[in-house]
Amino acid sequence: MKNRVPNRDFVGARVIDPTLGLDAIRTIAVRNGVIAAIIDGAPAEPDLDAERVDCAGMVLCPGFIDPHVHLRHPGDPQKETLESGLAAAAAGGFTAVAAMPNTRPPIDRASAVSQLIRAAEAIGGVRCYPIGSVTIARAGDSMAALRGMAKAGAVAFSDDGATTASLKALYHAARLIADLPQPFLSHCDDPAFEGALMNEGAISDLLGVAGAPNLAEAAIAARDLLVARVTGKRWHLCHVSARETIDVLRWARSTGVDASGEATPHHVRCTDDQLLGFDASMRVNPPLRSATDVRALKAAVVDGTIDIFASDHAPHAPDDKEPPLSHACVGFSGLETAVAAMFDTFRDLPIATLVANFSTNVARLLGVEGGTLAPGSPADITGLHLERQWTVDPAAFLSKGRATAFSGQAFDVKPAMSVVGGAIVYAVDRSGRPLQGPNAARRAVKA
Amino acid sequence: MTADRLLLDLDDAQRPLIEALIKRALEFKRGVADASVRLKGKIVVGMFFEASTRTATSFAQATHKLGGTWHDFHPESSSLGKGETLEDTMRTIQAIGADALVVRHSESGFPHALARHFSAAILNAGDGWHAHPTQGLLDAMTLVEEFGTLDGRRLVISGDIRHSRVARSSARAAHLLGAHVTLCAPPLLLPPTSPGWGFAELSTDLDACLPRADAVMLLRIQKERADGAELPPAEDLMEGYGIDDARVGRMAPQAIIMHPGPVNRGVEISGALMDDPRSRIERQVENGVYVRMAALERCLRAAAAVGAR
Repeated sequence: MKNRVPNRDFVGARVIDPTLGLDAIRTIAVRNGVIAAIIDGAPAEPDLDAERVDCAGMVLCPGFIDPHVHLRHPGDPQKETLESGLAAAAAGGFTAVAAMPNTRPPIDRASAVSQLIRAAEAIGGVRCYPIGSVTIARAGDSMAALRGMAKAGAVAFSDDGATTASLKALYHAARLIADLPQPFLSHCDDPAFEGALMNEGAISDLLGVAGAPNLAEAAIAARDLLVARVTGKRWHLCHVSARETIDVLRWARSTGVDASGEATPHHVRCTDDQLLGFDASMRVNPPLRSATDVRALKAAVVDGTIDIFASDHAPHAPDDKEPPLSHACVGFSGLETAVAAMFDTFRDLPIATLVANFSTNVARLLGVEGGTLAPGSPADITGLHLERQWTVDPAAFLSKGRATAFSGQAFDVKPAMSVVGGAIVYAVDRSGRPLQGPNAARRAVKA
Repeated sequence: MTADRLLLDLDDAQRPLIEALIKRALEFKRGVADASVRLKGKIVVGMFFEASTRTATSFAQATHKLGGTWHDFHPESSSLGKGETLEDTMRTIQAIGADALVVRHSESGFPHALARHFSAAILNAGDGWHAHPTQGLLDAMTLVEEFGTLDGRRLVISGDIRHSRVARSSARAAHLLGAHVTLCAPPLLLPPTSPGWGFAELSTDLDACLPRADAVMLLRIQKERADGAELPPAEDLMEGYGIDDARVGRMAPQAIIMHPGPVNRGVEISGALMDDPRSRIERQVENGVYVRMAALERCLRAAAAVGAR
């Protein structure tokens, strides 16, 4: 089925794996695309055919999985294509992404799930897991063919981009697949507040702009986690932005609900005052909130209430982000800055925790392989340079989406290598110059 | 935003700007010898996406008095309605030779968006709930005429503050000139933080505010700005935050009543009070023309200076 990838020994890196409790210089031996061993020193039985990839100065960890990206396929190639989106993911340090179903047409049936899987496999590189929509056409009222989509390979269900409007439909959808492992991923935003262009607060009041209050998110989160409670389904809150939503998540977990929440880089770093002057490029859903919310969200990551990171990569064509506010599409191109931004924001957390939030916990949520370097696992590996100053330049993105919340910001951490099933799908030298192919990659990591 | 060629809002305006514009408006009101040629050869285009009679007419009259030419651009029948982008429409208007644009739109920030595509003068004639800078200036001018200096004077603005661009601009202009501003409304319709917008006192009790007020400004009920899930019935709002004879009796003898118009008679203000000696409603309309003359003159001069570079 797949081309055989060369056996490789990734040598000299600091290997950090929260599932193995490992943080030490090790060699990762990859055979037939699978992690064969993690070795202190040289392999006992060296495979003379194995390529030696010198990773000195690099951190290697279980491949990062982004549970929340919009690849715009099918339907909006001017915003992103599968090729550009998956390339951006690789460059951003991700070895897998879960694609939200709000495409045109939406991923709301088994055939659409299968087509997306085939299209992504044809491109190769970063793994692409489809998320199916909960309701037909994401219209929020009639259940989609969830069981068929699950069988076709959907890893989760979500009407992301909007809340599933009908509690009745959501409740019955959850019961429909109560026996299956696929979780629901909730986009929490009460539809009654449609028309809101930003966070409701002092800034929206100053600008005279209709805003969505924290309540519009938190009340839906409470609704959806009650569905989780009564149906027993695994549940996940996308892009938590409001402090009250965190309270809701804590409450649900305290009652035994199997629930998690994700934090995005823009929600832990940006506030609604960035829309002063009507900067339409800063529109996003959920909206950038107050400094109080940002503090609460960061605290929730630090205390582990929120233990999953997501980029909510939402690329748009440049014209789509132009003012006025009502015209501008929501969201940022996030795949190529998420890792750096989160490592920068949470520099006081153990690296193993950040790795878990980007990898292990995501794999567990989605029920996909990876998230660990344990022998026998697919050789999905993310390589990072922890101290390599760089400045975000959207013009250099591989994504077609150039609207970022972080343009011009300087970061220390830079993804250096993405390995998927033993294949090096992305590698850069220390100057950040992209090099592709195994030989180039070997040169890169030696440089 | 008050870059010299732009008068989009008063959000970052400073006192000298407000003072200069009011001073010039007062000069125009007294009579300026060459007023009728100040905008000779200049084309001012009115772009009213939202219905307006008094503001559009006032701007047109101000243009006329300065010797400029006023054209109405009808957005609803323009190519914008046929899918033309804002940028292309603005290029067309600029190519036609417009020296200034007077814009009204239901969306807050819309004139700010236009400013990215238009290098001549832009004056905001009202954007959503956000700003109505010439209304703010004409209200301040009316107060200055009445009281001389506003330092220490107390202005109370009552009604639907939340959805009012007039409240935002008039409160700020009066504040910048030294007035103490109180915003009076039910909690739902007040700014969420105190002081409001960084400077205004908040109150939910109009009756308590009236005795110390030098001026009371009533806001028009604007049902088009919000639906019933966001606004109470008008009668309910006005019972607490409109003005009638009994409430006028609580005001100080020299205090005045203002209203940005058009007035819903018997709603924000009882019919009889329209002609009360305290009412400055007609004075406000009259001053509007002079304030707009001053604003057009300033912005057009700045735009010409930019163009000459």
